[in-house]
Formats: sequence, structure tokens, C-alpha cells
Amino acid sequence: MAVPRSLRRNNPITYILAGGLCIFFLYFFFGDSAQLPSLPKYGAPRQLLKSKDAASNELSPPSLPFKKTKLQEGEVAPPPPVVHYHMNNVTTTSDPVGNRESVLILTPLARFYEEYWDNLCRISYPHDLISLGFIIPKGRDGNLATLQLQERITKTQAPTNKNRFASITILRQDSEPPVAQTESERHALGAQKERRAAMSRARNSLLFTILGPTTSWVLWLDSDIIETPPSLIQDLASHDKAIIVPNCFQRYYNKDKEAMEVRPYDFNSWIDSPTAKGLGEKMGPDEILLEGYAEMATYRSLMAYMADTNGDPRREIDLDGVGGTALLVKAEVHRDGAMFPPFPFYHLIETEGFAKMAQRLGWRATGLPNYFVYHYDE
Amino acid sequence: MNRHGYGGGANGQAGNGAYPLSPTFVESRGRTFNIRPDKYEKYQPRNARNAFQRRRGLFMRLGGALAAMLLLLMFFFPSIRPTAIIPALSLGLFGVGEEWQIETVRYYDLANVGGTSRGWEREERILLCAPLRDAAPHLPMFFSHLRNLTYPHNLIDLAFLVGDSKDNTITLLSDLLAELQAHEDPKKAFGEISVIEKDFGQKVNQDVESRHGFAAQASRRKSMAQARNWLLSAALRPTHSWVYWRDVDVETAPFTILEDLMRHNKDVIVPNVWRPLPDWLGGEQPYDLNSWQESETALALADTLDEDAVIVEGYAEYATWRPHLAYLRDPYGDPDMEMEIDGVGGVSILAKAKVFRSGVHFPAFSFEKHAETEGFGKMAKRMQFSVVGLPHYTIWHLYEPSVDDIRHMEEMEQERKAREQEENARQDRMDKINSQFDTDGAGQWEKDKQALDEAQKAATAAADDEKAAAEADAIVVATDEASEVRHTESDNDGKAKIIDPLAEVPSLGGGAAQAPAEKPRDSISGMKSHDEKKDAAGQLVNKPNNAAVEKKEKVAAAQARAQERQQNKEAGEPSETAKRDQRHKVKEAANL
Repeated sequence: MAVPRSLRRNNPITYILAGGLCIFFLYFFFGDSAQLPSLPKYGAPRQLLKSKDAASNELSPPSLPFKKTKLQEGEVAPPPPVVHYHMNNVTTTSDPVGNRESVLILTPLARFYEEYWDNLCRISYPHDLISLGFIIPKGRDGNLATLQLQERITKTQAPTNKNRFASITILRQDSEPPVAQTESERHALGAQKERRAAMSRARNSLLFTILGPTTSWVLWLDSDIIETPPSLIQDLASHDKAIIVPNCFQRYYNKDKEAMEVRPYDFNSWIDSPTAKGLGEKMGPDEILLEGYAEMATYRSLMAYMADTNGDPRREIDLDGVGGTALLVKAEVHRDGAMFPPFPFYHLIETEGFAKMAQRLGWRATGLPNYFVYHYDE
Repeated sequence: MNRHGYGGGANGQAGNGAYPLSPTFVESRGRTFNIRPDKYEKYQPRNARNAFQRRRGLFMRLGGALAAMLLLLMFFFPSIRPTAIIPALSLGLFGVGEEWQIETVRYYDLANVGGTSRGWEREERILLCAPLRDAAPHLPMFFSHLRNLTYPHNLIDLAFLVGDSKDNTITLLSDLLAELQAHEDPKKAFGEISVIEKDFGQKVNQDVESRHGFAAQASRRKSMAQARNWLLSAALRPTHSWVYWRDVDVETAPFTILEDLMRHNKDVIVPNVWRPLPDWLGGEQPYDLNSWQESETALALADTLDEDAVIVEGYAEYATWRPHLAYLRDPYGDPDMEMEIDGVGGVSILAKAKVFRSGVHFPAFSFEKHAETEGFGKMAKRMQFSVVGLPHYTIWHLYEPSVDDIRHMEEMEQERKAREQEENARQDRMDKINSQFDTDGAGQWEKDKQALDEAQKAATAAADDEKAAAEADAIVVATDEASEVRHTESDNDGKAKIIDPLAEVPSLGGGAAQAPAEKPRDSISGMKSHDEKKDAAGQLVNKPNNAAVEKKEKVAAAQARAQERQQNKEAGEPSETAKRDQRHKVKEAANL
């Protein structure tokens, strides 16, 4: 019986010849097109970035994630695109979730508490609209805090986590903290001015380098705030105030009663008093008024003492000074220039000075005496 | 019927024979009889196998060859690799992709971005901020400045804030930026470019008059400050070591300005800003009066003012007596000379990013009675940053004529036209007279020439007697003067009188000089009034003296120039004068 003709042609030389020819043709086909003047790839690189988008270049606002660019050996990265930001469309409304408004949570971090991170992860605001920013001082304590923070971040920000945050930025401060931050030293009256000036600089560095053009709200949350309602952001934003501050308390173990109890912690949220104004007038330009010290009785009305644990959590009061432990600010207040003065501004410094500066710019601060967040108990 | 000896199956009992048969065999043989050969059960007919199965080997080899070829091609030509398809495919197949491509964590050490005097060597990034409003006419000039900057472009990030623009600023800006970024040399492309569009809803008019009116100043400065703060807070990154603020309407600046300012290694540094003026306004003028040193008077003034008041420099309403950077300029001075200042102007500010990071901004409220860039300087000082100006390092702001200037220019234009007309008329008349004169004069000239020749002949003939010759010379000289006098006296017909250039020149020169001399005086007083408007009134005591001296000098210079010009214009005439003088001389000689 005869072998089929088709099989007889199947000898390898045929394939090699055919392949060679093909490559030859294709070579000329593509080779020619390479000679043609091609249009520049970045003809009109106009981009419009919204708060949720990932930027296409590493040179982008830190409040946005970005796409990694993989470059071949010897390949030159294309120039960064021209990005347009329509800041008219950056809104701050009482319905931030519905309007997809992005929130930037800023934390000056001196010591890292696991409870802080756990609480942060429990926040019910959509995490893809939350960017986090940390500033950590130099030195050994700072290095330790950075390590602990990064450990938690790698777990939370794993690509497999559907609930990861939009972006996280860690800044290391350029200067050492001025004094050792033990609890007793930290609150000594003499050290206050210097400490709070350094703190103001840290806050400002954090704010003005990470704010970016897409942020709607800024939530200042201290690293020792370990318990907040999960709906903290929605609750505070629903008041639609420029600056709003909840009451900061502390849970502690009362040895006398042998039970857990709460006590006020943050005394920087207050309504001004004529006494304090009079004190301020008598002071030199570089002196500051401080709250919570017996040496300096200001007779201001402190929000900490207005709390009523069973009262309406939506009760609002107008404030003249605010504390920074938890503080929700509309980004436009900061953009107008309200910052944390590291110098005595109307005899006020840091967050209290911030409230004053915002006031000079036409923004008012509001307090929620019956809405609580809790501070770590050392 | 037993046909078989060993059979017996037929009659029932199987296995009766010597070789018993299995019952099944018996059954099957007993019931069916199949005649099909076994081989037909083993083999299918040829045509039952389809073509694909038959040539499977061939197809596989072909496919393999094609795949190998494609891989080879992709190896040689990376451009045909379907990079766009691969992630899409993997997304579909594995359900991962985007989130693996996205980086969410960034880490920065602010100690690395402190800013040093040699930033270009340490690859320090600069943020260049430019607030824009209705700036389309200046943009092409601004972009040419950008291209010319010698600081490595990839280290410069650009940020623009476009707000409340009624012209095509935004489209023009986008086009220019795309063009800038698509430069064929990748090293010429800039870093991050952000265009921020934000309308503040300001009603303030941006034209020169309303922009510099005193009443509008405070609110205008506050809204400018707001725009600057929005721009900065949106564009500043943890990677920036420096921030450079630059107005788009700077006309001339050194290409190396970033390096030049950086070399001083100051926290905030500004150059001197002047602007060129047309000649009739004095050629140049200090422009940016917001860079100054604080004075006792100003501090005392600030104490008397309301909390929300803003002291604006350059208006008579607030006499601050401050030393201004702008007035200290010496064109031949050392450009590296530094001067401590308290308020800064915003035309061109180089500041370390740490200044802005620590909170210094452009107060949109009255900070120590100042707003915007002056308040910025004050706040930087308050936070113990160094604020320095370079009095002899000058950049030039664009000259935009004010309404006064434009009116003045129109007047000048009209005057110029009138003068031209007048001159033309006079020229015509002179031409006419000339031609008339020449028609009589041509014949006379010939006669005169002949007479001259004759006289010369006579003179040479008489030359043997030296004494006589000397006498004759003396007479010629004497009569020369006399003839001139006689000439002006006797020629009392208008023609000759006008044509006499000796009489004409002084009167003309005087007249012509009068006009331009008036002009500079006007213009200087115009400039002075301008100065008054722009200067602090505190400068008035020093300034007018200077101005007066300058004025005198200028007037003198203008007069001299005018005379010179007039003389040049009439340069043709004197030759004729000489000619005619000679003629007279010859006549006298002939008479002798």
C-alpha cells in the first residue's frame, strides 16, 4: 500500500524554509514600519485624576495610590503626564460617602499602639476613600514605631485585602524631638511651649506635603486614640462644619471603686473667657496661654466638663480653641492657610492657635460635647 | 439420525463423545452462525477517519513552528509583544492584576530634602509655582523662560493654578505643557506637572489700573494669598527641597536664576525686580516695592491700625519710611550682595520647602498688619527663618502701560505728528525758496567763479611783491567780517533772510530744543507722580530731591540732544553758508 502523499512532504527542511521565509517577510513588514516617522506616544498626555484613581506616575500626590511602572533594562521612563485637577469638584458635604469624598487621616506618631491600628481598621468609612499619613520623629523610639507600623501596614495593605486603604504615607521628621516624651515631662508647663512648637511643625509638615489636590476632609487622629465609634467620620461630617471636634475621654481603672470608669482627657477644646483675654493682653508677644495648669487660671469653659454621657451625641457648641486628639477639618480650611502655628499666635499655639487662625480666615470651630473618643491610659 | 460417531449433540446429550464440549459453545453454535471475518471488526474503513485526525501531527508541527517563530519575533522586536493583552488576559484568568500593580505605601525621610546650596548636584527637586489668571498673553514668554532654565528640568515640578480666567488661559496652557513635555530630548522634559483649576469667584478686575488702586489692594492681596495657598497645599510633596514662586509676566531673567539664588543657601531669597520703561519715562523703574526692611515708623503705624487692616507698600496713604530693596539697586553693584529684609515681593521667590512645610504660608488675613507675600516674609521671620534680598541682582518685569501712560503716549504721538507736519511744511517752503534762489543764483555763481579765477590770476601776477600780497590778505580778512554784517543788513528781502542759516540755526535749535525739553519735564513729572503712587510716601522726602536732580540732568541732556539732532539735520546747510561766504570774499577781493 502507498504512503499518503501529504506525509511524504513533511520533512523538516520544508518547515525550516517556510519559517525562515516567514521571518524574512515579517522582518520587512515590521522593519519598514519602524522606519516610518511614528507619532510621539505621549502626544497629548492630559489626565484628569479623581480622588479614587490611581496615578500613573510615581510623581503624584501621596494621597493617591499609583501604578508601578515596570521598565526594561535601559528603557527610559516616559516623562510624567500633565495632570489636571478640577478642584471645583472637590466637595465637602454632609453626605461624604454618597458623594465619594476622600478623607485624609493624619497622625503624628510617637509611639505605636496595636489598639490604635485595630481601631483604624474598624472604621466603617469606605477604605478606598481613606488615605493615611504618619509623621514619625527621628531617633530610637521613632525607629521602633516605624517598624511596628510597617509590620501592620504590610498585612493590611496586602493586594489580596479587599479592604485596604487607598494610600499610606510615612514621613520621618528631619529633626529630633526636643525633649524626652515621658508622660510627666510632656505635660510640664515649662516644656509645653517648646514641645508644642515642635508638634506644630510636625503637624504642618504632614499636612502640607500630603494634603494633595483631591482630599475633601482631613481627620487629625492622635496615635493614642484607641477607641472611636466605627462611624466616626460619617458622624462628624454629617454636621457639615468647617472644624469639628468630639470630646476626648480616657478609660481607666478606678482602684477605689474597682471598676472601669471614664474621665476627661483633652482640655484644649474651650470657649474663651474674659479672664483669659485679659491675661493675654498683659502678656508679652512671645508668651502663651495654656489650659489645664493651676499656675494659670483662665476660667475658660472647657468642653471636657460639658460632657453628659447620656445626652444627645449630636449636641453642638461653638468653640474658640480646639484640641488635636481627634479633629475633623474641611480641607479648604487648611488650603486657605489655617495651620498649626509653631509660634505664639494671639498667645496660642498648635491646635488652639489653629482654631484662632481659622477664625481669622472666617471659619468657626464646633465641638460635640456628648460624642466621645477614648485616649490610651498610660 | 446419528451422522457423527462422536456426536450425540443432535439428539440431546452433549458431551457424550470422547471430547465433551462446553455448554456455551454448544449453545452458540447451535443457535447462530456468523460468517463475518474477525478482521472487519478490528479495522474501520479508511474514509471514516476525518482529515484532522489524519493530519494531526502535521498541524501540531505547523502550530509549533508558528509559535516558535512568533516567540522569536517577539524576542527580536519587543514592540510587537502584546503587552496590553497580557495583563488583561491574566486579569480574566486569575482574577488578580490591578491591585497587584498598584502601590499604596510610600516612605519619605524629610531629612533628605532640607535643601542645600548645590541642589543640582544633589538632585534636589524644585516645585515651581505659578498662579495664573487671564494670563494667556504672557504664557508663551513664560514657557520660553522655562525652556531656558539651566537647572535640570527633570528635577523641576511645575504647578499652575488657573482660576477665574475669562480668556483661553487653560487651553493654551494645556497645549504649551503638552508641547513642553513632548520634547524629543527626554532630559528636557519636566517632572510632575499639575494644573489646578479652581475658581474663587473673585470679582476683582485684573487690569493694571484697578489692580494697583489703593482701595482694592487689601482684598486683592487676600484673595491672591488664598490662591497661592491653595496652589501650594495641593502641589507640595515630601520630595521637594525647594519651592520657587514665579510670576508669568517676568520679561527678562537670567537662565541660571535658580542656581544663582540657591547658591546663597538662604531659607527665603528674592532678587530685585525692576521694569523697563519707555525713554520718555526715564528708561527704567523699580517695580516690586514689597521687598523691604521693617522700620520703626511702620511698626508704630501698625500698632495704631485696626486688627484687620493691611499695610500695603507703595501708597501715600501709609507712609512707612522703609528701606526698599528696589531703590538700593546699583547696576554695577555686586550681584551676590545680600540684604536682610522683612517683607518680600512675590514676583520671584526661592524658598526652601521646609519653610512651607513648617507652616509658613501667604496669610489671607491680616498677619501683623500684612497679607500675602509681605505677610509671608513676616511669618517666615517670626519662625526664625532667614529672609534675604539681593539688591544688585535684577530681573525685569514686563512693562504694561497704565491708562495715564497710554494717554500720555497718545498725546506724544499727536505732538510728534504735529511737529512732523510743521517740519514738512517748513521743508517744503525751504525747498521752494531754495529752488527760487538757485535759479537766480546759478548764473551769478558762474560769473563769480570767473571773477574768482581772474582775481586769482591777478593775485599771482601781483605776487612778486610780497608786501603787497600781505596787504591784500589783510584787506580780505577785514572785509570778510564787514561783508557779513552788510549781507544781513542789506539783504532785507525775506528770502535771503530766512535762508541765512547762521541766523536760522540758533532760532531753530532753540525752538526745537524747547519742545523736547518740555517733554522730558512732563514725562519726568509723570514718572514722579507715578513714583509717588508706587512709593511709600515715606520715600517722598528723599525721592523728590533725587528726582529733581535727575530731572535737571535729563532736561539738559534732552536739550543737548535736540540741538545736536537739529544741527545734524541742517548739516547740509553750512556748506552753502561757507560757499556764500566765500562768494562774498571773492567779490570783495574782486572789488579790490
